[in-house]
This record gives sequence, structure tokens and C-alpha cells, in this order.
Amino acid sequence: MWKLLVPVGVLVALLIGAVLADRPFPRAEFVYIERADINTIDPHKMSWSHDLRMAGMIHECLVRSDVFSEDLRKVGGMAESWQLSPDELTWTFKIRASAKWSNGEPVLASDFVYSWRRGMLPDAAGDYTAMFQLIKGAKGFYEWRENAQRDFATASGGRSRPVDAEALWAQTQKKFDELVQVKALDDRTLQIGLERPTPYFLEILAYEIMAPVYPKLVDQYQSIDPVTGMVRYDSGWTKPGIIVSNGPFQLVSWRYKREMRLERNPFYWNQGAISVDSIALPSVIDGNAAVLAFQTGAADWVSDVNMPFKGELLERREAYLDKHAPLVRSLKAEGLDRVEIDRRLPFDEALCVQPMPTFGTYFLNFNCSDRLSDGRVNPFADARVRRAFAISFDKENIARNVRRGGEPAAPTLIPPRSIPGYTGPAGPSSAPDPGAIATARRLMAEAGYPDGKGFISVEFLFNKEGGHDVIAQAIKRDWEQNLGVSVRLDQRDLKTFRNELKTANYMISRAGWFGDYTDPLTFLDLHRTGDGNNDRKYSSPRFDALLDQAANERDPTKRFAILSEAERLIVEEDCPIAPVFHYVQIYLFNPHKLSGITPHVRQKQQLYLIDILGDKKGREVPLQMKPALVPSETPPALPPPMPAPATTNRSAPTASHSRSRRHRPARATRGRAC
Amino acid sequence: MLTLILRRLIQLPLILLAIYTITLFLAWKVPGSPLDKGEGRQPPPEVREAMLRQYKLDSFWSFYWSYLDSATGVKFARESLDGSAAAQAEAAQGAGRPAPVRRVFDLGPSLTDGDWRVNEIIGASLPVSMALGIASIIMALAIGIPIGVIGAIRPNSFLDLSTLMLALIGISLPSFVIGTALLMVFAVAIPIVPVGFYNPRLALLGAFTLSLPIGAYIARLTRLGMIDVMGADFIRTARAKGVSERRVMLRHALKNAALPVVSYIGPATAAAMTGSFVVERVFNIAGMGQHFVSAVANKDLFLIIGVVMTYSTILISLNLVVDVLYRWIDPRIA
Repeated sequence: MWKLLVPVGVLVALLIGAVLADRPFPRAEFVYIERADINTIDPHKMSWSHDLRMAGMIHECLVRSDVFSEDLRKVGGMAESWQLSPDELTWTFKIRASAKWSNGEPVLASDFVYSWRRGMLPDAAGDYTAMFQLIKGAKGFYEWRENAQRDFATASGGRSRPVDAEALWAQTQKKFDELVQVKALDDRTLQIGLERPTPYFLEILAYEIMAPVYPKLVDQYQSIDPVTGMVRYDSGWTKPGIIVSNGPFQLVSWRYKREMRLERNPFYWNQGAISVDSIALPSVIDGNAAVLAFQTGAADWVSDVNMPFKGELLERREAYLDKHAPLVRSLKAEGLDRVEIDRRLPFDEALCVQPMPTFGTYFLNFNCSDRLSDGRVNPFADARVRRAFAISFDKENIARNVRRGGEPAAPTLIPPRSIPGYTGPAGPSSAPDPGAIATARRLMAEAGYPDGKGFISVEFLFNKEGGHDVIAQAIKRDWEQNLGVSVRLDQRDLKTFRNELKTANYMISRAGWFGDYTDPLTFLDLHRTGDGNNDRKYSSPRFDALLDQAANERDPTKRFAILSEAERLIVEEDCPIAPVFHYVQIYLFNPHKLSGITPHVRQKQQLYLIDILGDKKGREVPLQMKPALVPSETPPALPPPMPAPATTNRSAPTASHSRSRRHRPARATRGRAC
Repeated sequence: MLTLILRRLIQLPLILLAIYTITLFLAWKVPGSPLDKGEGRQPPPEVREAMLRQYKLDSFWSFYWSYLDSATGVKFARESLDGSAAAQAEAAQGAGRPAPVRRVFDLGPSLTDGDWRVNEIIGASLPVSMALGIASIIMALAIGIPIGVIGAIRPNSFLDLSTLMLALIGISLPSFVIGTALLMVFAVAIPIVPVGFYNPRLALLGAFTLSLPIGAYIARLTRLGMIDVMGADFIRTARAKGVSERRVMLRHALKNAALPVVSYIGPATAAAMTGSFVVERVFNIAGMGQHFVSAVANKDLFLIIGVVMTYSTILISLNLVVDVLYRWIDPRIA
């Protein structure tokens, strides 16, 4: 009998060992939950918004967006001042003397040169390599490297040539210095030349992709493939205990699919802005568990509640606000932001549900190719047909009754008021009236399909999960009723769905897009002929010409007017897409306890500003939205009087329009500002 | 015994090779490209092409051989022996950089989680799954054997039938139902277990959920095994000799009934140790089970093969352990 007990005993001993070896950390001061795990903290490889948010704490760019200003004005990050040459082609940045890496070494201008070279190489395999191509010579360098590499790989034919590979790499670095206009003039001065005047360039520089990496460390984890000549990046440097970074926080622990933990970086220059010492991001896959974690106090902020019961949560919030309607009205009249209003109301759990508009839109793609993948003639190649489909379904109904997440129906692609100074087109009406339906029918008849007769059976492609099926059903019903066509719903898993889009093997599909930087181009460039993200295969010489024209226009008002016309083309006339609604994310946090989450439409959170109210640490005074320097609805005109240490820039959206003037960003950014 | 172990150890790589070939073939056929993200901005075509080349994803056979090469350590050995590693290190040092990082058994990078290599992912999640699996097997034994013995003492009695029914429920109820019910009871109704993220108490509840179907099966095996031997000659002899009923049951009958349980425990442990997608999700445990599903959904080839090969290796090894245990427990089996 005892023999049977031996294996059991061994198992018990193993178990006890495992439990003892695996102790959870104590609770961090600020705990937040994202809807997905962090994929990477390497700035040159990332593209997911939760990765970028994390990067904003670990890394720091030359400049940062002040997310508590309506116009997202740029304040100094690693740079303390900057100036633009009169021809708007050369930027000069002065890096602050107090800018330090987390090991105490100073951040040098050459560190930026190193990092951007890494970021713009085709070898980096980043989704955003194209962003670097605003810099003069970057595109030429990219293409040169691409060709040199191909030639090298062909020449080696599978043989290992370590010495030649190193020579190619040395040559590449030399070529970079020769071609690309990013120069470290001295340790603290960085000069950047641009291909053409780019009014949103500061906005790009504030994007986490442009953050520097620590050259001495990253170099150790990089090797040159002796067969292909490519640079191989090993991710080892992103691990806690190894990583050297320059942001307000540093990574102290990262347990795969379990928890990431950050602690204050003692060498960060702006200690006054930081109010918490530790931040944890536990991995929670299940949405219900995330809500429960918040309700039991285990988490302070949940960034995206996407559960079926979110409609009820919102209703409870609305009901509470209705109860206090007079107070809400008077607080609004004071010009307070929405989070601050909630903070002044008597506390109720309903206030922890925070619907936030996002810089993203849910829309439909129409395949614009002449022929479908099976060789049939594609009726959606005809803009009249696309328009008829785009205006004949009820977006209001979808937003209000199907989604139930507080999302506004979307007449346009770019969320309204998200880009200061930009006014988009009106777009078609969101709830089709009889007039719109009559127009749609007329358009179908003109295209040769009166009452939908002779029209092929429409396939509507969407991916599983995410509740797209119910939206598709509502749209299908409207189209069948209003246009007399028959619609088949085609549901695929995400990978297959993506593949079908890429190969244009569909007629109509769902789509979504979140803007990366505060400029209309972040939504418009994906409709350019041949763009890698143009799943619609839309090609309009007129649209392309408008984008080119905008690229060469130096007057920001005129430039926005041209871009607005381009947007009008795609949402009113050519309709390669049909916007459905603008995304809203539902946050969970207690405004009475937490400060630092901005209600800005652009929805870019800078979590290093988080302050736990009432813990007698940090600012203890909640951050509030500051109005734009220029009213966001009207096109930028003459500058209004500037508040104190603010910059000398003339207009929104960025400080880039002022010429050869020194910009002195507010010191100690938001540290003592409130 | 030694020949058995040797024979099995020789078979192991062959079986693994077959599993590798089949898995890779099937995973390769999954539609879509591992480099495409479902949503958001896609990498430029040149970058995609460069990545395909880098990971050898451009052709099945080049991927097949290069993965085998680096995962089995052949590449490491070859490069060490023919001096190419040294040449590479020298070239790097010539350019003022340290020698490149080298790994003996390199299972490749994860194509979805850019900062993690498959070795690290398995290294991080396998211990968690193993602890969970071991805990659940212990619980299953503790639940299953007593229930089985109780049933066998008086077959078809009320007690027997009711335990049998419980076992049936344990086997048939899916773990997400049991798991959610347990959470409702122990986390919401009587809040003794914190919800949200990883916590030993939560993991213990997960282990319990995982143990129920296994325990139920063990109960049935024990009961049947004991009833089978109850009528055997040696039991009658033992009783005739005046051995106490308790001793007959535990010493003679249970020992013989243990063999089918032991043979079931092998694969059950392997299954429990390599994780359960459902239990891991419900209780938020960072084990290996989730990778079986998510890796396939993302077509993360390196991770798919990594977890499948780990699972296979554990399964085959545990079967070997069971065979050895058999002979040790019952020396009559040669």
C-alpha cells in the first residue's frame, strides 16, 4: 500500500514547493486593467494602443501632448525648447540637461539619432516605419537598405558571410549619416530636416514610436545575420532588471500573462509630475473578472468595459445624473470638464462608469475593384451603388438600440471636434428619411438596378466576436427593405477575415479605425491609391490629388479646408466607406478617488499623471481640462492673448506654425500647474 | 525494466518528429498570415516581406528544416563546431559590438507577443500549469478513491447509486459551468476568495474545478476494479482466513483495483498539467492551456509548435513513468 502513497507524496511535495516559490506582489498604488495584454514595450515594434499607453510611462519622446488641454498642445519632454526654421523645413531641439536614462546617464542627441535609425530600417519590422519617412532622406535610405539587403541575400545564396555582413552594416550606418537629415549637432542639440513642411510634425514627435532607446543596451541585443545581412533584434533588452529607459516609470517586473509592474524612475527629470510610486497592470482576460476586480477594489481603472451589461451600467449613470440635473447644469455652466463635474457631485457608484469618446470610427468597407475575386463584375465598383448602400441604413438605430454603449452615430469618418481647427463635411444623415431612401433607389435605378432587380446577392463580411453579427443583421434588414436586394451574412474568424480583406475577396465588410496622431491625415491616408491599409482598393485621382495638394499647402486653414473636401469625397460622393458610429470606450474609475484620466476626445491617456486623491501623496489637486488656445470649432486665426509661461506659437493644432521662434514649454509640465 | 526505459527513450524522438510534422502541416494550412494583425495599421509590404524571409515563413520546407535545426540544438552544435559562431562573434567584436546572444534549444520568437520567445513563454506558463495540474490530481485522488471504495463495499446500495450519480455529474458538467458556479459561491456570495487576478486561493479553486471530472472518473475506475476482484479466489481465501473486512477491502481489493487508476493517472496528469483553457480563463490563471487556443487563432506558428511539442513530451514521458510504476507496484507484470 505504501508504494501507492510514494507518487502522491512526491506530487504533494512538488506542489508545496511551487506555491512557496510563487508569491504574489503586494498591491501597487495604482492598478489598472487593459482589455488585452501588452505585446511589446519596444517602441519601434508597437502599434496597439495599450502598448503605446504603457510606452508613455516607460519611455519619453522629445515632446509630449498636454492631454489636459483641449488643443493637446505640446510641452517639453526630453526637449526643453525647440525652433523651426523660416522655411518650415528644419527643426532644432535642445535636450534638457536634466534628461537622464534610468541608470543615471544623460540622454544625448545622438541617442535619438541611433533610435530613429533603428526605427526606420526595414529590418525593424515595425508597423510604423513609414512615419519616419517625413524626415528628409529617410525614404531614400529605406529603399537603399531594402535593395542592398536583397542583393546581399542573393549573393550569399545561403552561405554564412559574417565579415561581409558586418561590412554591409557599417556601410548602412554610413549611408544613413549621408542621406538622412537627423543630426546631433552636439550632445544636447538635435537637428531634423523635413521632406516638406509638415504642420503636424510635433504631433508625430510626441508619438511613442519616436521615443529613444538606450543604444549601449540595445546594441548588445542586436546581431547581424551572416546569411541575409539583416539586423536581428533580440527582445532580451525589454526585460525587467535589464531595460534602461528614460520615462517617468521603469519596469521592475513583467511576468508573462500575469502582471507588469512599474516603479517611479528616480532619474526622471520631472519628479513633480508623478504622484504614485508603483503601478501594476495585471493580466485579466475575462471582461467579467475585470469588472469584479474594480468593484472589489482590486483595480483602480478598467480601460474598456465591453460586456453585454454595459448598457445597464450606462443607464444607471444617466439616471443618477438626471437626478442631479440642476447641479450638473450649473457645474457645466462653470465650464468644468465632465470628470470634474462628476467629482463635484455627491458620490455614487454610478459615477464610476465613465463613457469616453474615442478617436475611432466603426465603418463599412465597399470593395471598389472592377471585378470580384471570382471574376464576376463587381457592382460596387460603381460609386452610385456604393452611395445608395451607404445612405440607406439606419445608423441611429444601430448606435442607440444595437450597440447601447453611448456611441454617437457617425455621418463622417473623423470624429467631430477631435482635431482642433478642423471642421469635417456634414455627411449623409444618420437616420435615413424617405427622401434619402428615394435618392438611394434612384441611384440604384441609374446604375441599372431598379428596385434591386438584377443585383447579385450581396455578401457582407465580418469577423466573429465583438458583437458585429447583430450590427450586420440590422444593416441587412435595412438594405433588403429599402433597396430590394438580398444580403447574405458571412462571418469569419479574425485571421481569415483579415486575409479576405487583404486579397479583396469580399463585397462589403465591417471595419474600424483609430487615429494615431491629431491630424485628418491619420484617417484619410488609408484611402490613397495603393496604400497598404486601403482594403477597399479605392482609387480616385481626385482624392489623391487633394492629399498631394494638402501636403504642399503651408497655410493651416487652407490645408484643413482641402482635407475636409477630401473627407467629403469619401463620405458623401464616392463612398468607398460608410461610417456607422464613433467608438466610445467605457472606463471604470472613481473620479472622487482618482485624478489624471483625461476626458479629451482624442483619448490619449498619460498614466504617469495619475494621482490617488486622499492618500496625502503627490498633487492631491485633481487635474482639469484647460481650454484650447484657439477655439477648436473655428479655423485658426490671429492668436488670442497667451497665458503666462505658455509658448509663442500662434495656432493649433501644434506649435509648428510659428517660425524661428523659441518655444519654451511650461516648466515642470503639469507638476505644480494646478 | 532497463530495456523498457531504453526502448521508450529511443522511440521518443521518432514520435515527436511525427507529431511535429503533422502539427506543422496542419498549422501551416490555417488560413491567414501569422504576420497580419486582425485590426489596425498593417506593416508596409517591404517589412512584411523582410519578416517572412527572416522567419523563413516563405516556404513550408525551409521553415520545417530551420525550426528543427534550431529547436533540437543541432544548429547550436554545428555552429560551435564548424567555427561559424566564432567567426560571427569575431566579426561583431570587430565592429565594436558584443557577440550575438546564442541559445542551445531555440524554439523561436512569439509572432504575437513581440518581446517574448517561445522558450520564455513556456518557461513562465508551464510551472503554473504543472502546479495547477498536480494540485488537481491530488484532489481528484482524494475525492475519487474514497467514493469508489464506498461504492464498491455495497454495490447498488443507495450510497453507491448516489455517489455514482455525483460522479456522473462531475464527468458531464463542463468546467466553465462548475468554475463559474464555484466563483459565484466562494467569491460573490461568501467572499472568501478574491476575484480579479492571480492569487493562490483562486488557483486552488481552479484546481478543484479541474479535479472534479478526473476525480469522478477515478471513482468509477476504483469502484469497478474493486467489484471485479471482490468475487476472486484470493479475496475469498482472505476472508476464510479471518482477515478483517476492512483489511480485505483496503489491503487486497483496493491494491488490485489500483492498476487501472494508475494507468489512467498518467495521461490525466499530462492533460491537467499542460493546462485547461476554460479553467485558466475563468480563474485568470496564467497557464499554458490558453496558448493552445490563442496561438492557433493568431496562427503564431512558433508558439503552436512549442506548446504542442511540450504537451507531447510530457504525455509520452508520463506514460513511461506509469509503465515503470506498474512494474514497481506489481512485479508480476514483466
